[in-house]
Amino acid sequence: MRGRSWLGLAAVVLGLGLLAQGVWIPAKAAAAQVLLDRAWERTRSGDERARPWPWADHRPVARIRVPRLEVSVIVLEGATGASLAFGPGHLAGSAPPGAPGNAVIAGHRDTHFAFLRELRAGDTIWIERPTGALRHYAVKATTVVDERDLSPLAESGEAVLTLITCFPFDAKAPGGPERYVVRAEGAGAGVGLR
Amino acid sequence: MRSRTGAWAFLLSGWMGMGLVAGSPAAALPEAPGSGALFVRGPNGGAWSMAPTLETDVALAVTGPLVRARVVQRFYNASDQWLEGVYVFPLPESAAVDHLDMTVGDRVIEGQIEEREAAKRIYERARSAGHKTALIEQERPNVFTTSLANIGPGEEIEVAIEYQEVLRWDDAGFRLSFPLVVGPRYIPGAPIVPATHAGTGAGAGWARATDVVPDAPRITPWVSHPQDGPIHPVRLRVELDAGLPLALVESPSHVVAIEKLGSGRRRVVMGDYADRDFVLEWRPEPSEETRTAIFSEAAPGGAHVLLMVMPPAAQEAKQPRLDREVVFVVDVSGSMSGPSIEQARRALLFALGRLDPTDRFNIVRFNHETHALFEGAVLAGADALETARHFVETLHADGGTEMLPALELALGADTGLAPVRQVVFVTDGSVGNEQELFGAIDRSLGRSRLFTVGIGSAPNGHFMSGAAKRGRGTHTYIVNPAETDQKMGALFRKLEQPVLADLEVDWDEAAEMWPVRVPDLYVGEPIVLAAKVERIHGEVAIRGRRAGDPFEWSQPLEVGEAGRGIGVLWARRKIASLLESQGRGADVSAVRAAVVAVALDHHLVSKFTSLVAVDVTPTRPAAEGLSQSALPTNLPAGWNAAKVGGVLPATATPGPWLRTLGLALLVLGTLLLIRKRFAIS
Repeated sequence: MRGRSWLGLAAVVLGLGLLAQGVWIPAKAAAAQVLLDRAWERTRSGDERARPWPWADHRPVARIRVPRLEVSVIVLEGATGASLAFGPGHLAGSAPPGAPGNAVIAGHRDTHFAFLRELRAGDTIWIERPTGALRHYAVKATTVVDERDLSPLAESGEAVLTLITCFPFDAKAPGGPERYVVRAEGAGAGVGLR
Repeated sequence: MRSRTGAWAFLLSGWMGMGLVAGSPAAALPEAPGSGALFVRGPNGGAWSMAPTLETDVALAVTGPLVRARVVQRFYNASDQWLEGVYVFPLPESAAVDHLDMTVGDRVIEGQIEEREAAKRIYERARSAGHKTALIEQERPNVFTTSLANIGPGEEIEVAIEYQEVLRWDDAGFRLSFPLVVGPRYIPGAPIVPATHAGTGAGAGWARATDVVPDAPRITPWVSHPQDGPIHPVRLRVELDAGLPLALVESPSHVVAIEKLGSGRRRVVMGDYADRDFVLEWRPEPSEETRTAIFSEAAPGGAHVLLMVMPPAAQEAKQPRLDREVVFVVDVSGSMSGPSIEQARRALLFALGRLDPTDRFNIVRFNHETHALFEGAVLAGADALETARHFVETLHADGGTEMLPALELALGADTGLAPVRQVVFVTDGSVGNEQELFGAIDRSLGRSRLFTVGIGSAPNGHFMSGAAKRGRGTHTYIVNPAETDQKMGALFRKLEQPVLADLEVDWDEAAEMWPVRVPDLYVGEPIVLAAKVERIHGEVAIRGRRAGDPFEWSQPLEVGEAGRGIGVLWARRKIASLLESQGRGADVSAVRAAVVAVALDHHLVSKFTSLVAVDVTPTRPAAEGLSQSALPTNLPAGWNAAKVGGVLPATATPGPWLRTLGLALLVLGTLLLIRKRFAIS
């Protein structure tokens, strides 16, 4: 009978541990965005060396806004595991967000990019650049592709915003082969207010 | 400031359209006619077509330092359509390609040398007339394209090319390298818009032309996805006649069978897939003399002479060792991911251990961003070395390969505080903008010397040797992690010992020698000269200085052995020297004319000349169309597909999974505890 009690206790402790880790991931993702948001505002008001936290080594490159969904997230340079923990990442080598060309941004399906499933054709996405300039995109299509299908990265020279996240949204385990891709096309530029 | 964009993340877009027919999931694929055949599709979709399969046989005959190679590419068309195959493949960067033949059934058609555009026109005319035709073009000194048109359904055609090469004595032996895969190259620059993907033929690689690399589509063949298994089997055979008793023969790259045929003769056989460079090294039994090899070959109006002299090692240092400023530049781009970055780390740690406290050093790492460890070079004290070791141990590879800013930073930031300044560049050289980088080295070298260390299973030899040559340094390859210390040790002996400089060559007879000026030599390197003389007569003498000590050597030309292909080697060196002079401001059209003249004379493939073969027997009925397909290549061994953009980024956290599992365990544990309570009461 003692064995079962130990087993039960071990399961509870392990369960609490995993739960804490599982809660820590979205908490970190959300906290990072709050700090990034502040740093972004300082960057925009001219402080070029603004860092979200002292040891941060990821540079914010843009802010994504979706007015209809009240979404506002800061995008970091580089779509590596390390940067994606804090915010969506801009793929090195793709066009800068808001510039002519195909800007590709990837984000985690269960944190920053969970809102992608709510996007519909016709939705407006704003990209805010560090200079304060704004570019306006309209969602054209959403598709599901295999991770090996790189057609979403194709460069045509036209202003395109490509948002990528893992699919399906409700899958529990990470590492699946499918990706959900939102393609939005440039619809105009504006000047942001400081 | 120049704003730079580049393609690396996008580079393997080629394999998006590729899949094995066997068990293919895509309904759009045509019905499988056989297993293992490869289907390709243009980057913008379009119809699936079947690529011909390819097998390669390589036979290398080595006589002393001379290599004669025959590379047979066997194309097989398993489809029921007429196909054109286009295959981008590598050869050693100093290879002089002088022969092409095409075998169709029992007919052998020999290739002719033509100016590049003329050869292309001949090929295209024959292609549309339904004739079988093969074309060999040079894209880079080490990247070539075979195009083969009108391969009938179920038909097999052999295209064979031959080249001549001279091996360099390095350190203590010879190193023969046969590259087997063109690694994906990072293509910097802004795309030239609009770009149209014209089918899948030559010039339809994964990269688009950019302002910096206008021929990017020609040097970026699609890559087969590693999950689909390796393609392109290769059989390679070396008949080695070293001319000296051999102490050691080994391949650091492959498992080989070595058969001993005599004290200086071996037969080496290897069979594998084309996913990494083949390397064979051999070392004669040690001897004290100055090693010399002289070969000559009669030519119309004279003879060609090839000379290789191995100066004896310097006497024990008579002068105190000079303090140095060493800047290490390390490539941490995506192509370096995996075993390569581990080799680079190990090489750097070894190098740090060789610094004296009075030396100065710095480390620059780059991918698409450049980052220096210290603001300027610092003294190699214990603290600085500790910081550097930590920096090296935490290097990881990801991102693009913007080499130019790193190179300029390393060459430009001279503190002027040490008498000797050296830049050690650790990279796989996987870039397409070699010319731009060579130009930057010419401009900003100053008093620095540039040494390249080639890492990985398929380094870009053209970049490695070209950069070292312009940087007046030398290049080293590390094929196998186990030989890192040995190779870096040899490099450091070169860095630490004085060069053999001010070399002058006197010929009794009038001689046209290439290169015109003999570069400085590092310890363990040979003097290699090729000259055209009016007759084999008199002596050749070489004079130079090493750290104040004179070096002198002379030998009568008559002692030389007769060697085949010496004229071709001379012509190849002349072409390389001419093209290099263009980088230093020589007139472009004059250089072009001179290169074309030499190349046509010696039947050589060059930047401006191609070999073309046409079988005049028409085969393809005019009514049947011809499908083009570019053959994909393997990803070099050890490369990580995700790091060079082969797959879309992974974008899910383990959060939901951890929460679900955690909750489940919590419930289970609680149940177990509660049941225990019941049991007690």
